[in-house]
Amino acid sequence: MSTLTLAPSRRLWPAVWKLIRLRVLISFNTFKHSRTIRKIFIVVAYLALLAFAGLILFLSWRLLDFLRSPSLKQYVGMDVTPFLQAMPVIIFTGLFAGILLSSFGVLLQALYLSGDMDFLLASPVPIRAVFVTKLLQAVLPNFGLISLFGLPVLYGLGLAGNYNFLYYPLVLLTMVVLALAAAGLSALLVMLVARVFPARRVAEILGFVGAILAFTCGQSGNLFNTFGHSANVSGAQVSSMFTLVTRFNTPWFPLNWAGQGLVALGEGRWLTGSLLVVLTLGLSAVAFSFALATAERWYYTGWASMQVVSRRKKPLRTARLPVSSDAIHPNALFVVGASQGLKRLLTAPVWGILWKDFLLLRRDLRNLSQLISPLIFGVIYSIIFLRAGGQAPAGQGEAPDWFTSTFQSLMNYGNIIMALFVGWWLLARLSGMAFSSEGKNYWMLKAAPVRASQMLAAKFLVAYLPTMVLGVFFLGGISIIQKTPPVSFLYGLLAVAMSMAGMNGILLAFGVLGANFKWEDPRKMSAGQLGCLGQFLAMLYLPFAFLLFVGPVWLVPVFHLPPVAGYLGGIILGATITGCCAFLPPWLVRMRVERLGES
Amino acid sequence: MADTVLIEINNLLKRYGDKAAVNNVSLQVRAGEVFGFLGPNGAGKTTTIKVIVGLLQPTAGTVKVAGYDVQTQPLPAKAASGYVPDTPNLYAKLTGRELLRFVGDLYDLDRKQVAQRTEELLQMFDLTAAADDTVDSYSHGMQQKTSLAAALMHDPKVLVLDEPTVGLDPKSARLIKDILRQMAERGAAIFLSTHILEIAERMCDRIGIINKGELIAVGTMEELRLLGKAGETSLEDIFLGLTGGAEEAEIAEILK
Repeated sequence: MSTLTLAPSRRLWPAVWKLIRLRVLISFNTFKHSRTIRKIFIVVAYLALLAFAGLILFLSWRLLDFLRSPSLKQYVGMDVTPFLQAMPVIIFTGLFAGILLSSFGVLLQALYLSGDMDFLLASPVPIRAVFVTKLLQAVLPNFGLISLFGLPVLYGLGLAGNYNFLYYPLVLLTMVVLALAAAGLSALLVMLVARVFPARRVAEILGFVGAILAFTCGQSGNLFNTFGHSANVSGAQVSSMFTLVTRFNTPWFPLNWAGQGLVALGEGRWLTGSLLVVLTLGLSAVAFSFALATAERWYYTGWASMQVVSRRKKPLRTARLPVSSDAIHPNALFVVGASQGLKRLLTAPVWGILWKDFLLLRRDLRNLSQLISPLIFGVIYSIIFLRAGGQAPAGQGEAPDWFTSTFQSLMNYGNIIMALFVGWWLLARLSGMAFSSEGKNYWMLKAAPVRASQMLAAKFLVAYLPTMVLGVFFLGGISIIQKTPPVSFLYGLLAVAMSMAGMNGILLAFGVLGANFKWEDPRKMSAGQLGCLGQFLAMLYLPFAFLLFVGPVWLVPVFHLPPVAGYLGGIILGATITGCCAFLPPWLVRMRVERLGES
Repeated sequence: MADTVLIEINNLLKRYGDKAAVNNVSLQVRAGEVFGFLGPNGAGKTTTIKVIVGLLQPTAGTVKVAGYDVQTQPLPAKAASGYVPDTPNLYAKLTGRELLRFVGDLYDLDRKQVAQRTEELLQMFDLTAAADDTVDSYSHGMQQKTSLAAALMHDPKVLVLDEPTVGLDPKSARLIKDILRQMAERGAAIFLSTHILEIAERMCDRIGIINKGELIAVGTMEELRLLGKAGETSLEDIFLGLTGGAEEAEIAEILK
């Protein structure tokens, strides 16, 4: 028996310290082994954050000092003291709710989907120590972010109000304890969900919903302005906002006790302040301990359900296929016929890759969120465009006439512009990442007898077909609403189809040059620096391709030629050049495809 | 048929920068032969295998599979071979059945043949019940079996396997051994790397030992015994004697 075997420590905090030290060591090693430019960037970023926090502190101090001045009350007739007293309440509630919600996704990853959990659970470390470390790990980035804004404001409030010295350390302590309690409850929520649903699926759904919500919120401001809502805030609105915030500061809501207690302590109301702060700290400690104890019991159930592969008995696909032609619905016949026709045009490997990629794009929700963004974007901007009646915005009226008229002419092709813009967005993901999306599975394509040209053709179609569907949807939709003549619509369709094909060729080629197969999460896949260059070139190509088709139509009146000459010129010029862009770049990189994945 | 050379490696050199991962390796594997490729970690086994299946281009030398040069005639060479990697990286969001259908398309197989072969392979590897579940719900062993099923989809003349039995239960490991033996009997060439010397000793007709990128021994068990020192009768002793692991084995014995 070896004498090297030692009894493991069963004490919680030494084990937590060990695990935190390990995490710090990993972070330090990552920093140490990163490139010098990255090291400089990290140091500068942290210094900039510190400076930013300092700036917020200074601005809060001065602003709150100004708001407290008696002369303001005298001139404006508004007493903002209740609002200022409610400020800590708002910040602490925001901190608690923010940590509770934002920690959910992070904790789901950290507790169920990170690679180190098996190792940690198998090692002789108390499981509570693992939870505490994971909680700290999950809570720290969000806590840091909220503190960056909240802490300087709270300290600024203390400085402006000449609060007691006890206020400052207690603000920090309360923030930490509340954040831990929120993270503990969030961990419980994670474990509750993981008992019912597979953690991986929950993470995918969360990523999908989060991305869509973030994107929709980001774009909704534009839509808000379109519907005529002004961004200017009136004095009455400010006053009503102050009243609302003040009403929120009731003593009946436990989350308010922290803020109220700290303000009371700062102002020297010792008894009320101490009572409320001690009550907050005590309740938070109870919540955290309860979460920790319950989590220990719940965790294994959720974790165990991850290890068991659920089997949903599905009917075999072959059984669902119609057995005779009599049983086939006429529409199904059409679909099958179309698909068989397409199959005859495509070789089996191209068809196989196409079919596989469409299945994967649809099934992985993390992919889907990136693909739905262009649709949301297109819908929002189409509404904005159509509400303006297809007219150019008037602006301040200082632009020269030639500019205004050109801008107005451009708006006549709003349907093409919108289709191209939405298509560009979708192609940037589908075409630029076409090869990178294979990830670690690329060996399957590479080891199979598939030509580089077949791979390029398949990837071209994987990007092109959905983009064209989306392009036609926007082009057709806007054209119908604007009552565009059929000839103009068909011409627009050709312009969109050819411009997209050209852009697809450019993005696909640069995607090949920058292909990166080393990623775990599809949201983190990238086409490298060369892929970025491709995106930049595609951005320049887009107006160029548009002008190739639209330019001749614009120019024919100048030369007193019939409109048909413009269309003909546009087709010859545009189709030739965009066609070259579609075929030439992929052809140039075909040799590179054969060497992909060898580095 | 037994004299037909299905894998032919001549003076293979593969460099990563200044380091030669595989240095001047030459060997042949004939039809009906199970060839075991052994070597310590980092000896160059996986690099050699990746060159054989066309995943890596050699710095120098040639590799022929079923008579086709992997560099100049990659398509027929790849069509003749099946590959099972050490880590089964498969498309996680495809079901087992869809994955096999996809492989059938890649190898340009007839659709009816694909459907029939898929069902046969799923049944053979006991994957029928999980055939409509996505691969990310499979255990490591199930993924390994799916990977092998994919490699067998087109009934290859040459099967190249990198550590095929890692993570498999004894029943599945036995099944794989039986399949490989049956394929060899039907005239296929099997090239497998393994760390389990017992498998190599019992299954392989010939064994090659690679160390630090150089092929240091090739032959049948009897031929290898002649290369070893007196008293080295097991493959483990011969392997450790040739690759310089005998000293470590002695230290381990003392520590027991």
